[in-house]
Order: sequence, then C-alpha cells, then structure tokens
Amino acid sequence: MRLAARTLVGICTSVGLLAGPAAAQQSITVAAFPAVDEIVRAALPAWQQLHPTVAVKVVSRELNDHHTAMTTALSTAVYLPDVMALEVGYLGRFAQGAGLEDLARPPYELRRYQARFVPYAFEQASTPAGAVLAVPTDIGPGTLLYRQDLLAKAGLGEANLTGSWEGYVAAGVKIKAATGAYLLAHARDMKDILIRTGIQPGEGMYFDKDSRPLVTTARFVRAFELARAVRQQKLDARVTAWSSDWSEGFKRGGVATQMSGAWLAGHLNNWLAPSTRGLWRAAQLPEGAFAAYGGTFFAIPRLADAANKPLAWQFIQLMTLNRARQLAAFKSQDAFPALLETYDDAFFDEPLAFLGGQRARRDWRTAAGQIRAVQVHKQDAFAREVIDTELDKVLERGKAIDRALADAQRLLQQRALR
Amino acid sequence: MKHLRLSPRWAPYALLAPFLLLFLVFGLFPLAFSLYLSFQSWEPTSGLAAMHYVGLDNFAFALRDEWFWKSLANTGWLALASGLPQHLVAIPLASFLHLGFKRWRNAVVGAYFLPYITSSVAIAILFSSLFSTDYGLINLLLALLREVPLLGALLPAQAVDWLNDPDALKPAISMIVFWRYVGFNVVLYLAALQTIPPDLYEAATMDGAGRLQQFFHITLPSIRPMIFFGVTLSVIGGLQLFEEPFILTGGKGGSDQAGMTAAVYLYRNAFDFNDFGAASAMSWLLFLVVALLTWLTNRAFRPRTR
Amino acid sequence: MRRQAQHMAPWAAYCLVGLGTLIMLAPFYFMFVFATHSRSEIFSLPPPMWFGDDLANNLAILTKRLPFWRNLGWSLYVGIASTLLTLLFCSMGGYAFAMFEFRFKKALFALVMGTMLLPSFMNMIPSFMIMDLLGWIDQPRALYIPGAASAFGIFLMRQFVGSAIPRELVEAARMDGCSELGIYARIVLPLLKPALGTLGLITFIASWNNFIGPLVVMRSPDMYTLPLALRSLQSPVDTEWGALMAGSAIATLPLIVLFVLCSKQLISGLTVGAVK
Repeated sequence: MRLAARTLVGICTSVGLLAGPAAAQQSITVAAFPAVDEIVRAALPAWQQLHPTVAVKVVSRELNDHHTAMTTALSTAVYLPDVMALEVGYLGRFAQGAGLEDLARPPYELRRYQARFVPYAFEQASTPAGAVLAVPTDIGPGTLLYRQDLLAKAGLGEANLTGSWEGYVAAGVKIKAATGAYLLAHARDMKDILIRTGIQPGEGMYFDKDSRPLVTTARFVRAFELARAVRQQKLDARVTAWSSDWSEGFKRGGVATQMSGAWLAGHLNNWLAPSTRGLWRAAQLPEGAFAAYGGTFFAIPRLADAANKPLAWQFIQLMTLNRARQLAAFKSQDAFPALLETYDDAFFDEPLAFLGGQRARRDWRTAAGQIRAVQVHKQDAFAREVIDTELDKVLERGKAIDRALADAQRLLQQRALR
Repeated sequence: MKHLRLSPRWAPYALLAPFLLLFLVFGLFPLAFSLYLSFQSWEPTSGLAAMHYVGLDNFAFALRDEWFWKSLANTGWLALASGLPQHLVAIPLASFLHLGFKRWRNAVVGAYFLPYITSSVAIAILFSSLFSTDYGLINLLLALLREVPLLGALLPAQAVDWLNDPDALKPAISMIVFWRYVGFNVVLYLAALQTIPPDLYEAATMDGAGRLQQFFHITLPSIRPMIFFGVTLSVIGGLQLFEEPFILTGGKGGSDQAGMTAAVYLYRNAFDFNDFGAASAMSWLLFLVVALLTWLTNRAFRPRTR
Repeated sequence: MRRQAQHMAPWAAYCLVGLGTLIMLAPFYFMFVFATHSRSEIFSLPPPMWFGDDLANNLAILTKRLPFWRNLGWSLYVGIASTLLTLLFCSMGGYAFAMFEFRFKKALFALVMGTMLLPSFMNMIPSFMIMDLLGWIDQPRALYIPGAASAFGIFLMRQFVGSAIPRELVEAARMDGCSELGIYARIVLPLLKPALGTLGLITFIASWNNFIGPLVVMRSPDMYTLPLALRSLQSPVDTEWGALMAGSAIATLPLIVLFVLCSKQLISGLTVGAVK
C-alpha cells in the first residue's frame, strides 16, 4: 500500500515538474569521467557569466563505465548527453561509427581553429575522409621520469638513459648492479613505447591503411627483443601500473625510471610517492622518441537534441579555445593544454619542486609539438590485446619472437575486416 | 464471494500471472534481442539502423576463433576449481554448524557470509594488496607454512607472483570465488537443514547410528533438493564467471589471458572491440554449454523415487 | 584410545571452523581499516594493519564529491521495494511451479531458467530500449520492478516448496474448503519463512550491489545508487581510495544489520515446529 502511495506521489511530482515553469530555463548535459568532471565543474562560473539562463548538468561515471554508457546511449540514440567527453583510447572506436557530429562542417567549421591546437591532437580526432569528430582539450606528452639519486649511485647521467634504447637497457644493468633497483616497472612498458616509435606516415600502429596487419615488421621485432632483454636481465619489477606494488616500488626507490605522460609527476607528488620529492627528474624519451600517453576530447553526439547543439558547441569552445580555462585545468588537474596559445604562459617556466626544481614543463611543451598522430583502426583495441598476450607468452613461457608475431599476424588478419 | 473463488485449475495461472507479465517484458525481450543480434553485424555507436544481416557469419567466426575456445577452457577450469570446493566445504560445515554450534552459530555463519556482501570495489583493492608478490599477506603466510616440516614440501619454494604468472592467476581467482561464495552456500544448506525434523536424528541415535552415518543417511538425502539448487547455481554462476576475474585483472583477462573467462571475453568483444554481433553469437554458444550442463546436473539429481 | 580420538575430532573441527572464520573475516576487517587511512597509506606494502585517523577526511571527500547520503537513501529504497516485490511474486510463482500441474509447465520453467543462462551485460542495450519506451529512465522503479521477475527466486522457491511443504497439507486444506489464495497466504507462506528469509536476504544484497542495472537506467548522479556512485570516484589514474573504502564500508553496514535480522529467521529452528 505504502509502496503504491509512494509511486503515486512520485508520478504526481514528476508530472508537476513537467507542467511547471521549468521549461523557461534551458539546460545542457555534459557526460564525463573523473578529473574531467572536476574541470568542467570548475568552468561553470565562467559559463554562467556567458549564459546566465542555461544550466549545465554534469554526469560523471568511472572511465570505463562512462564509455560503456555512451556506447549504450549512441546505440539507441536516446538520453544522449549534449556534450560527451572521450578519452583518446576510446576515441578511435567511437570515431569508426556514425554517432558523432562532424565538427568540420558548418555551423562548427572547426578547421578554422585548427592552427590553434597541438597538431597531433587535432589530427587524432580527424578521419581519413576529412571529418573532425572531436575537439582536443588536454594531452599527455610522453616523458621519461627517472631517479636522479639512483643514477648518480650507479655513476650514470641522463645522457646514458636517453641516447638509444639499447643504451637505456645497458644503463639498467648498471643501476641494478649498483643499487638493486629495477630499471622499469614492467617489460611491457618497453614494448609499448617501441611500437609507437618509427611509425611510417599513413600507417597505423597495428594496421596499414588497407587493414593489413603490421605486427611482423621490424618495429615489432625490435620492441619484443628489447622487452625480452629487459626481462632476461631481470631489469623489470614485473608489476602492473596502478597496483599497490607499483606505488610501493616508487616509494621505496625500487624502480629507477618510468615512461609515462607528464601528468604522472603530479600523481607521484600528490599521493603515489610524496616522500620521494626532489629525487626525480624528467627527460625526453630515449632515442628521440615522442609519444602521447592519454588525452581527452569533447564531442557532440549526432542525434543529440538539435535545439541544444549551438549551446553545446559554445560550451566546448569555452573548454577548449579559452586560454584561461585551459590554464586553470592545467594548474588544478595537471591537464596539459591542447591549446597552443597557452604555451607562452609563465606557468611553463616555473620550477617543479618534485623534480628537484627542474623546469620540466618546457620540455613537455617541446615534446607536445613533436608527437605525430597515429592513424587509428577499429581493431586497435583487439590488436593491442593480441600483442600483449603474445608478449606474455614470449616473456613468461619462452615462446620464440618470430613465432609469437606470426601468430599475432594471423589472429589480426582474421579480425581485420570484421 | 463464492463465485470469485479460484478453482485449482486456474489457480496456478493466477499465481504466476504477475511474475509472467514482468518476465515477458523484461526477461524475454532482451533474450530475443540478443538472439536477433547474433545474426547481425553491428557497430553500436552508429545506432540501431547500422545493423545488417550476416546470417551465420558470427557463429562461424566464433567457432573458428581460438580465443573463444581458450576462454571456454579457462571458464571450465575456473568453474570446477572454484565451484566444487564450495560445496565440499559448505555441506559438512553447514551440518556441523546445525548440530554442533549453539550459541555462536549465527556469529559464525555471519562471518562466513560476510564476503558475499562485500562490494566488488573493495575486493579488487583488498586482493591486489593481499596477493602482492613481495609484501602480500598470502605469500607471507605461505612462507610461514613452508617452515612446517611435512607441509613445506608441498608448497612452492619461492614467493608466488599471483597476478603476473599465468599459472598462478587461475588459483588466485578460484580462491577469491571460493572465499566469496562458500558462506552463501552455507546459508542455503543451513536453511534446508532446518526442515529436517529433529526426531529423525533422535531415532537414528537410538538405533546407534554414529554422526557420520547420520550425515550420509539422513542429512544428505534430506537436503538433496537444495544441493541440486546450489550445484545448479554454481554451474550457471561458474560458467558465467565475470566479476572476480574482471576486477582482478583490471578488465583485461590477465597475463597470457589466463583469467579471461568466456564472459569476460564476451564483454570485451561487445564493449572494448565494439563487435556486438560476435559477442551475441558467443553468448548463445555459451548459453548452449550452460544449458547442457544444467540439464546434466538436473539428471544427476533427479529423485530416484519417480 | 578410540574414545580419546572421538573426543578430539569435534575439537579439531571447532578449530578448523574457527580458523576459517578468521580467514573469512580478514579482508572484511581490512576494508574497515583502509577506510580510516589516506590513499597513500593504503597503497603501501605491507598495507596498514590497524585503524588510522583519516576517516573524517575520507568522509569529507566522499560527501563533497558525491551526494552520498542521497545515493544511500536510493539504495535503501530500491533494495526494500525490490525485496518485497520479489518475495511476493516469486513465492506465488514458485508455489505454482512446485504444487500444480498445468499446460506448458515444463517448457515455461525451462524458459524462465533460460534467462539465467545469458550473461546479464548482454541485456544492457535491450533493457535500455524497454526502459526508454516505458519512460522509466532515471526512475527507481526501473530497478526494482524488472528485478521482481527473478528466475533465481522462482527456482529457489520451487525447490523449497517441493521439499518443505507436504502435498497432503495442501490437499487437506483444500478439502476443508480453504480457497486457493487462502492456502497460499495462510499455509504456504508461513511454512516458507526460512526460504523467504533466504530469498529476501539475497535479493536485497543483489539489489544493493547491483551495478549494471543503474549503469543502464540512471542518467543523473542524484539518482545513482551506491555502487554506481562509488565507482564514479574511480579513475584509472587518480582515485580517492580512502574515500572509496569509507564509502564501501558504510555501504556494508545495512547489509550486516539485515543479516543479523534475517539469520534469526533463517536458522532458528522455528519452522521445524511449524511443520509438526
């Protein structure tokens, strides 16, 4: 009985709300995930000044859940948000479908602003057909974080790490001998960065533009060989990123280097290993490699409420083309700006206490300009899984590299055109 | 009033009506939808209109996909290694608690039941910490046990890399599943044990039957329907094992995919690789396997009297 | 000697059960310990073994980032509603399947069981479509009404009715002129108490920990139930683990209370008296 009464009350109130004066105020919905949601909320006062009558509703979910919910919403085209945040790892998948608005077309004509964005980030959101499906808001320029004190103990300097990948591994042997510290967290990190370097123009990471798998090329062979060398010389701690072991390795100085996005320095400082402040330094990746670790985009679903699209577009512009907003996100959440005109700000020249007073943001700014966009393929997520699995077999079960890569090639061929 | 009375003939339909109504709307439609989907190629982010019919293509792909078979093999291994011990422990434990414990019974049952109500978020972080190679409590405990003379020989000589070594990952997952559901089964069996009239035991004791004999001749036959229920749930749950491997391997399946169960692989096909057609076809193939095994369980537990 | 061995056996069993109890409790204990530590301390190895002093801070983060108490309220509301509905519908249905013969009974039961055999996330998209069609998106009823058609519940009830309710009792009541609904309400339901306790407990827990359901239908953070709300704190790189642990620990408290209440019902032996 009480249940029925509650339901009835519920229905009445919702009817009342619909009939009430609520229609007078417009509102747009922004779907995001943690960190980005905070950045969006922080921008709301600025938005209210521009549009006092338009409320912004922020819907936040865990990263994976967010993208799953967005898949569901796009598949049925109901309850779509007006603005959708997308992480770069999911962007390729979403860009394959026809669910996102092409922002290169009127009324958006995003290409007018192309020169204002970090080139690779903008290209990452563009399709071969010329559509632009999302606007970059933050990027993750890759960097090599290393423990200055451990290197010094082994009698090494930064140049020993960054010359070549073979030199990097050789330095690892010396560090292990002198300090007992591992060179890196997992041999997989080595493979991950090496398959990102030396990609020919027009190639994707795993497939060429005709969907032919590329995993038996020299790029993959070298990546696997170096990863195996790391494991065979016991230079990796064999821990997964974001586990307790990983964090503990940093705290205890058990791991000497970590390749990652520039943002990792902030997390190390804030909570992963605050006690190691001042001991770390940042360098460019070895052998002149440049790679991106993460990044965020905003998109507009094609089938979202048409009446809200102009507002959604203005909101995205505020988040991505406004110097003050971009810098605010950088300062509060370590979200490295995708907007080039922020790069002359004095914040880039400030010394970082965690990195022993190094002015590392300047290097990261340089790296951002050097990164090249990689052509995405709809089977990239699958290909990554196949390559990771074959690498596990090489590392854990001693499978021969050429056989592992041939098996990967075969699996990818089966999937490539699905 | 009399004419409003239900006759026994119509009573079952009336009793079933509310359930069936909901079942038709919320149970059957999703079933039909996924069956339909298994004959389509569909990239979900493009919307419903993007479906197109491909016949048996998805099934053919699934049957030729070596990863699907690998995931099925993993599932079988894990279902057996985590399911069987649950019942082998829960049944004796429940009957021991039923007969032996008086004052502390509820507290003990409660303790065994707690893992079942612990949220999966908490489990993920707790176990990644417990299974740590160098500092984890589990390896610490193993190191202590290794000092015990006879037992030591049976244990691994070095710290186990639970989450990165493909051969250790499966036992780690099985342990968690066992830990999480054994108490649930204890509660089921305890509830069933309540229905056994105590005079049966009294009579048996008078006849001089020992506790073991009572267990095999009174307890087991009496709770047979509940064993059937519990085992069926374990078969179904074990073959759909998803949450524990998913959270323990960060949603990937683990080193060399040793923890990639069929359900995890399905999920990844649908939401990571955006191939809903293949995922649906695989879920129906899995459906067939589960249905077959459930049917076999049913046969194994069929009352002999009928 | 033999006598002694017989005396020893129960003691060994008690010790074994006690040891098992500790193993079962350990992770749970750590959840509460972690709830009182900062995320830096949680991510230390060995992890903290005793309570820390960050609980207030964790709660502050929790309530600042989430409408936590509101989420808790919705979880309670949905949990209670879903338990009551499920108990009613499934006991009726299970009784019908166990005690009556009717056309298509076997096929129907097989079909009901069939829905248990597909992984639930395969239902995400069709469920979303139905909820949209009914206009139930963002409505709590989208969580408790569909759940009431629980194949698991029907199965449990059918098994229990079959073993706990003597057919003769029902026949006798029928001879005495008791109506069919009267038999269900006055004879079957009281006898089903332990099963109702079990199913109620399991249903409430399932609803409480249900994650995929709210992920599909709840579109505003104000309407999230706890699992979804707590998970929205998680990020691959920057999670407030302390706050998350505090939230998870608080979330289990109602379940513990419920278990204490139900366990009396479940394992008190009251029912045995009723059968006689």
